[in-house]
Amino acid sequence: MSLRHHFGTFLIAAACTVASLSASAHAILIDSTPKLNDTVSAGHVDMVFTYNSKIDQHRSRIVLVKEDKSETVLTIAANNTKPNELDTHADLTPGTYTIRWQALALDGHITRGDVPFTVTP
Amino acid sequence: MELLVDIFGYLSIILHGVTIIAQSMMLGGILFLVFLARPFTHLITQGDDLERRVTRLTLYSAIGLILAEMTGVGLQIAVVMSTVDLGFLDVMQAPFAIAGTVKMLCALLLIPCLGQRVATRSLAAVLPLLIGAAELTAATFTTHAYARLDDNVLLLFVEGLHQFGAAIWVGAIPCFVLALGRLHDAHSWRLVGARFSRMSMIGVTSIVISGAVMSFFYIGNWQGFYGTAYGVMVGAKIAMFLALLALGAGNLMVTERLRKNQDASVIRMRRFAEVEIGIGFTLFFAAASLTSVPPAVDLSTDRVTLHEIAVRNAPAWPRLTSPDHDKLAISQMQARLDTQAQQRGQVAAQANVPGSGVLPPRNADDIAWSEYNHHWAGIFVLLIGFLALLHRAGVGWLKHWPLLFLLMAGFLLVRSDPEVWPMGNEGFWVAWRDVEVTQHRFFVALIMLFGLFEWAVRTGRLRSAKAALVFPLLVSVGGAMLLTHNHQISNVKDQLLIELTHTPLALAGVSAGWARWLELRLPGRGGRIAGWVWPICFMLVGVILLWYREA
Ligand SMILES: [Cu+2]
Repeated sequence: MSLRHHFGTFLIAAACTVASLSASAHAILIDSTPKLNDTVSAGHVDMVFTYNSKIDQHRSRIVLVKEDKSETVLTIAANNTKPNELDTHADLTPGTYTIRWQALALDGHITRGDVPFTVTP
Repeated sequence: MELLVDIFGYLSIILHGVTIIAQSMMLGGILFLVFLARPFTHLITQGDDLERRVTRLTLYSAIGLILAEMTGVGLQIAVVMSTVDLGFLDVMQAPFAIAGTVKMLCALLLIPCLGQRVATRSLAAVLPLLIGAAELTAATFTTHAYARLDDNVLLLFVEGLHQFGAAIWVGAIPCFVLALGRLHDAHSWRLVGARFSRMSMIGVTSIVISGAVMSFFYIGNWQGFYGTAYGVMVGAKIAMFLALLALGAGNLMVTERLRKNQDASVIRMRRFAEVEIGIGFTLFFAAASLTSVPPAVDLSTDRVTLHEIAVRNAPAWPRLTSPDHDKLAISQMQARLDTQAQQRGQVAAQANVPGSGVLPPRNADDIAWSEYNHHWAGIFVLLIGFLALLHRAGVGWLKHWPLLFLLMAGFLLVRSDPEVWPMGNEGFWVAWRDVEVTQHRFFVALIMLFGLFEWAVRTGRLRSAKAALVFPLLVSVGGAMLLTHNHQISNVKDQLLIELTHTPLALAGVSAGWARWLELRLPGRGGRIAGWVWPICFMLVGVILLWYREA
């Protein structure tokens, strides 16, 4: 395996540790659409994640994890008027999904979390 | 390499603590230099020597700040780059990276400004002060204040005031200790003492005002104070602040007596100031771990009620028998995996992969297991405190009491992580990747080390006065580290209830360490009192551990 690849895994391990260290870390999710274990209907789904602090939207990430564990990175819309939100959307077919978010607060703290939900026909 | 990074993750809070210490010492050094050492250079004997030494200490602090900041920000940049797929230059434009770079640049710029050539010019005072102010401003941009939704300007200002207060008071104490050690006549002590207590008062006022405003904005109400991790940690900070105030008041009395030309114990002032450094630095570690939890006002659910605290801490008989190792969640999971694998004729998978970031499962037996460990550790510590007290009272052969620490360390090493060798399936080395295991081993090593040192000192195997200081230093470091230690339990409430007992534990540990320090270093009545205080602190630790419950 290439050195670059090794370096990548090594950094992800680092990130996991940093994130797992602070189970209740700094930027916390105070509201979301869909909510935790929510059910939404299939088709175009707009998603909003609201935090307690201002988020660096460009340097945060939202990943959609499907049932088969495959991951898709969703584009976060730049939203200057709502600095504490991460807005995104996806076209979803029925099934169970998990949103895996990682937010970089403006003060430099990284937090991550999961929002599992179900899509019905 | 992965192993290194995992341990690095645990170090991130500690690294932040080191950064705060270095920053406070650098800023405190600048202020001490500009407002005390330089104005007095020609008024006190050995003034030149003092100025040189304070300058050097400030330089070292600046270098320390550069190193700590570079490591901390570097790690953070690397993590963002790899997890969000961004280029280095992109991440460098993130506010935290800019703030970190400015802090490093300020510290770097300070180095030539403290040099001989600049120090003699008219700008000598202005330049370091300006650089310090710029560094302080940058530092506020990596606090909660910058990411808050409202009142940013006010909160940034208040954060700045808080850090300024910490710098002028706690950060300048090392310089003060340096001065007390260097100067030898009552006239110099009087001058330095009076000016420094004036500076401390400014510091204390800044801390109190800013602390009150921040508590109002970040904690909000009474329940936020006792019901959240943030509030509890602020409580620990207040307790240590009060201890610092008491020591500071003691020093103020000495200064006043000196001013009135009365007899006063400068040695006591010096020893108290040393302890102030220790407690002040511990406070900085508490501050560092505070930045990793959300402000209490934001945590509206998952708060602990007084009732829950009362239920959890209702007196109960300690658990002196251990549950079966086979009944623990991971053991059972492993057993299931083993039978499944056997049916399919495969090699069984490992139930728990250390360092994977997945929180291990816990059942009632796991809780019982952990309580049993804490309770026996409590018995050990209680016994240690009691024997030390008896030895102090004159029972000579009890000088071997520190050996009990080794027994306790062995017990903890075997018991604290049941999924790991020798009790569990995981190998000794691979388990280092689990942050909690690493923390436990760190504590075990610490306990062994200070036990051995204290035993060697008590039995006359080590005769140097410095060797005797290892025990109090490591005990207080252990206490400070306990403030940054967290149990990886997914339930926020449970975690907080555990923290509620671990925080007093940490404070008692820190007090024990510094009381022993005073016993060793302070002659006369003060030292004798301290000699009785620290075994009692140890016994208190034992009682708190015996009281500890997880359900
Ligand atoms: Cu513990």
